[in-house]
Amino acid sequence: MEEKGWEPRIVAFVCNWCTYAGADLAGTSRLEYRPEVRIIKLPCTGRIDPLFIIKAFEKGADGVLVSGCHPGDCHYTSGNYHARRRWIVFRELLKFAGIDLRRVHFSWVSASEALKWRDLINEVIETVRSAGPFEAYRRLNP
Amino acid sequence: MEIPYYPGCTLNTVARDFDLSTRRSLKRLGIELKELSQWNCCGAVFPLTPDNVMGLSAPARVLNRAEKEGDKVTTLCSFCYNVLKRTDYRLKRDREGLEIINDFNEGDYRGKVRVLHILEVLKELVGFKEVKEKVSRPLKGVKVAPYYGCMLLRPAEEVGIDDHESPTIFEDFLASLGCDVVTYPKRIDCCGAHMAMGREDMVSEMSGRILLSAHEGGAEMVVTSCPLCLYNLERSEAPLMKREPGFKAMPVLYFSQLLGLALGEDGDGLFSGKNLYDPRPLLRDKGLL
Amino acid sequence: MARIGVFVCQCGNNIASTVDTQKVAEEMKKIPGVVYTQDYKFMCSAVGQELLKKVVKEHRLDGIVVAACSPHMHEKTFRKACEAAGLNPYRCEIANIREQCSWVHHDKTKKTGTLKSTDLTRMTIERLKKNKPLKTINIPLKKKALVIGGGIAGIQAALDIAESGYEVILVEKEPSIGGHMAQLSETFPTMDCSQCILTPKMVELSMHEKVRLLTYSEVEKVEGYIGNFRVQIRKKAKSVIEDLCTGCGECIEKCPFKADSEFEVMKGHKRKVIYVPFPQAVPNIPVIDREHCPKFLKDKCGICAKVCGPKAIDYSQQDEIITEEVGAIVVATGYDLMPVESFGEYGYGRIKDVVSGLYFERLASASGPTGGEIRRPSDGKVPETVVFIQCVGSRDPKRGVPYCSKICCMYSAKHTMLYKHKVHHGQAYVFYMDIRSGGKRYDEFVRRAIEEEGAVYLRGRVSSVYERDGKVIVEGADTLSGTQVEIEADMVVLATAIVPRKGAKELAQRLGISYDTYGFYNESHPKLRPVETNTAGIFLAGTCQGPMDIPDSVAQGSAAASKVISLFSREDLVREPILAEVDERVCNACWDCYYACPYSAIEQHPLKGRDGSIVRWVARVNEGACQGCGVCVAACRSKAIDLKGYTDEQVYAAINALV
Repeated sequence: MEEKGWEPRIVAFVCNWCTYAGADLAGTSRLEYRPEVRIIKLPCTGRIDPLFIIKAFEKGADGVLVSGCHPGDCHYTSGNYHARRRWIVFRELLKFAGIDLRRVHFSWVSASEALKWRDLINEVIETVRSAGPFEAYRRLNP
Repeated sequence: MEIPYYPGCTLNTVARDFDLSTRRSLKRLGIELKELSQWNCCGAVFPLTPDNVMGLSAPARVLNRAEKEGDKVTTLCSFCYNVLKRTDYRLKRDREGLEIINDFNEGDYRGKVRVLHILEVLKELVGFKEVKEKVSRPLKGVKVAPYYGCMLLRPAEEVGIDDHESPTIFEDFLASLGCDVVTYPKRIDCCGAHMAMGREDMVSEMSGRILLSAHEGGAEMVVTSCPLCLYNLERSEAPLMKREPGFKAMPVLYFSQLLGLALGEDGDGLFSGKNLYDPRPLLRDKGLL
Repeated sequence: MARIGVFVCQCGNNIASTVDTQKVAEEMKKIPGVVYTQDYKFMCSAVGQELLKKVVKEHRLDGIVVAACSPHMHEKTFRKACEAAGLNPYRCEIANIREQCSWVHHDKTKKTGTLKSTDLTRMTIERLKKNKPLKTINIPLKKKALVIGGGIAGIQAALDIAESGYEVILVEKEPSIGGHMAQLSETFPTMDCSQCILTPKMVELSMHEKVRLLTYSEVEKVEGYIGNFRVQIRKKAKSVIEDLCTGCGECIEKCPFKADSEFEVMKGHKRKVIYVPFPQAVPNIPVIDREHCPKFLKDKCGICAKVCGPKAIDYSQQDEIITEEVGAIVVATGYDLMPVESFGEYGYGRIKDVVSGLYFERLASASGPTGGEIRRPSDGKVPETVVFIQCVGSRDPKRGVPYCSKICCMYSAKHTMLYKHKVHHGQAYVFYMDIRSGGKRYDEFVRRAIEEEGAVYLRGRVSSVYERDGKVIVEGADTLSGTQVEIEADMVVLATAIVPRKGAKELAQRLGISYDTYGFYNESHPKLRPVETNTAGIFLAGTCQGPMDIPDSVAQGSAAASKVISLFSREDLVREPILAEVDERVCNACWDCYYACPYSAIEQHPLKGRDGSIVRWVARVNEGACQGCGVCVAACRSKAIDLKGYTDEQVYAAINALV
């Protein structure tokens, strides 16, 4: 990648039941999308601690994506609602802290939405690319 | 008690009886109808294009004025009521639309007005029980068929002064005056409304059905709260008599005229003779005039 | 230092065509703690698994990473292989380099794929280093089931469970089991008499040695979790001692007072104040309706006690609270009909001859108030024209419910036939929106009603119903001919919408199961887990879940029973150890976890001092109820809860390994 210049690095926190399976389906369907994403699987988006996202930025991520089951489809009934509530507050906090919101993304991708996953990843990568490398944050933590 | 009052155009012209009889009656019930210091036409028909708020500018202007003069506004004509109520309903829920309208009208309407039909005023602010107590001339033996029309009831969630399929407010009101209330199936059907402009045949058929139904129920007169309904019903009687030999013409009048009579108003002052079928002979027969 | 082995699978060419697996394996060797790496053609093959086992033993490995296909494919395979080699299965992790790498990045130079695979595998290795060995959990299991609701679905479920040798408690709110099916006359599409096929099942259930029948009873409280529920049941006072009553019926005959019959649907039909709901009731033991009995209202009468031979009447009987321990619960609480008084245009409640479909069932039933003769309620005349209106409240998002009640098309067709069979010269009209007759022999049935039995079907809605000269006038639209129609009918029958039972939501809250906006209970998965709820050990049967007909309800009853039976067929419950765990030293009892948990799996536990007094409270995870979602972990402010298998440590290790 170095020869081609800078490429963004995205960490995707996804739930095991919907989005992870949706990403698998994208593979089974041989869809192609940008490679700059690294998936971290959790049982449910409700498990996601906002500190995971902070940590990811600290460790070199330029953008973060959280994705789980659609509202009403959560494998654990209501975990994604907890995630959504937490996300809304956390996003405001990031905004307050001056972090470019082009770096943080939230979506619902079901186990059957391989196409949506592909488009989502490409779109997230493009948006993060437009925000540039997240050097500012990393400089805070030498 | 004073209540801001929006008469509307018809009440100032062909429906003077409606206006006068209501003002006088309510005075006897301790309510002063205070006409808005300025007002304009309500627009007459609620615009049905959801993306065009400009059609609401006329009624919004009326509401704006009313807001400056009180927290509620009452009106008599069913059409005016329908348009004002729905405009208010829409503007209370559509902030963006409200902003556009206010910009256009150079107004500052905030949606703080409650639009009341006069029947609601009588039911909620006065109370039918109270009305009954104030009645000095009970209208015993007068068989009256109340006709709701559409505008007081539909659309149910926006205007509905009562259940839109089986309302009782009109009947309850008339019962408080001592009338024999006739309940008949077509009391909530459409009279044909503004089809009168080009399709008189259609209006004649639709209004005819209503009249016939009231007649079969034993009614001697029909009362309404809508000048257009009254117009359509009255003018459908002659053709109906031709079609249905058993049908006899009956007076159609505003409910407020009976209210005034029951409260002891001077009978002749309530009826200016504008009715196509004069109710006075009938009322005289009953010993009420 | 860890001793980790890494296997990179080529998956034939599936991975190898875009990932240089050998290079990935070599890169991994550089990571501290990795002592063995290899790439191989097919790791999931028998040979591949043998290789894995051999390497684990030879190199004394304490952890394995397989970089291969999705863990949803072969995680179990490799964990089993590890276990066979003596390694804790939770010390094996999968890096997904096929579905999420080689298949979605088509770079033929292998550069992209190799780089990403290296990253993914490295993250997995770092995560694995923090994996703790976990053990599956065994939970004891009480092999006794509770069925709530004694309609056909509940009866079927209870019978099936009892037949396989397990004990069942069936709780029914009414004095008799049977439910709505007992009220029906004949059933579509076979037209066999409802009671004739139902009552044998009711009797079989009541005689079954494994079944304990608690009628006139309600579930008050449910605690615990799968395999170990504690249930409190209120057995309402029947005022009749069940062990003494012989069911002779003398008390009913002599009772001088009457009240409205719930069973006969329409007001005006009376039953005695001491009563059984219908003659074939099971158990055939009467109850006293205390709200209407003068003995209870003003201490007068007492005739029933005087005439009772075996002295079974007991006016002083009290409600009894029974506590039972059960391993599984089947909920089969059934439905109600939507009250249609609010649909003013149909005149129900105002016009006597406008009746509900269920009332028509009673009219047509041989055991009904008219002995099976179709007579209209107002004057007892045989109606010569009957109008049936479908979708009253159903498929009406504004005023009723948006869903289809599913059974009305079929039973309206049945009604027209029943009517025609009893009143040969009569004419039936049906107003419908669509005819939905999907089901075995269902459409043929509707065709028969129309083509052979002469019912006139009109596609359109009814605008108003009113009375004129002793007739009920129905005005409506016939949209197929584009005209308005007016029918002079003698009677109108409304096919009213099915709605959840009154109190359905409260019961759901007691049980800890979820329900939809209407109050129908949610299945765990609409297609693949149709009778399970999201609360383990609680199953659904019949119309408490949504509108369905008798065959569906019975099928669901059996399905729920089979779930219970398969649960009971194990010695004890085996659970995946992906569970939340509380560090009691850190917990400060804020209860955020307690409120966040969708499964009520967090318990408030007192810690006691030496003298037995409570020192402080801490959260504790009920391992039977916890499903391992981790919502509590993210909710915990003091970081006292962690999720085994997905600990904070593991996740952070993976994030740290990003670069």
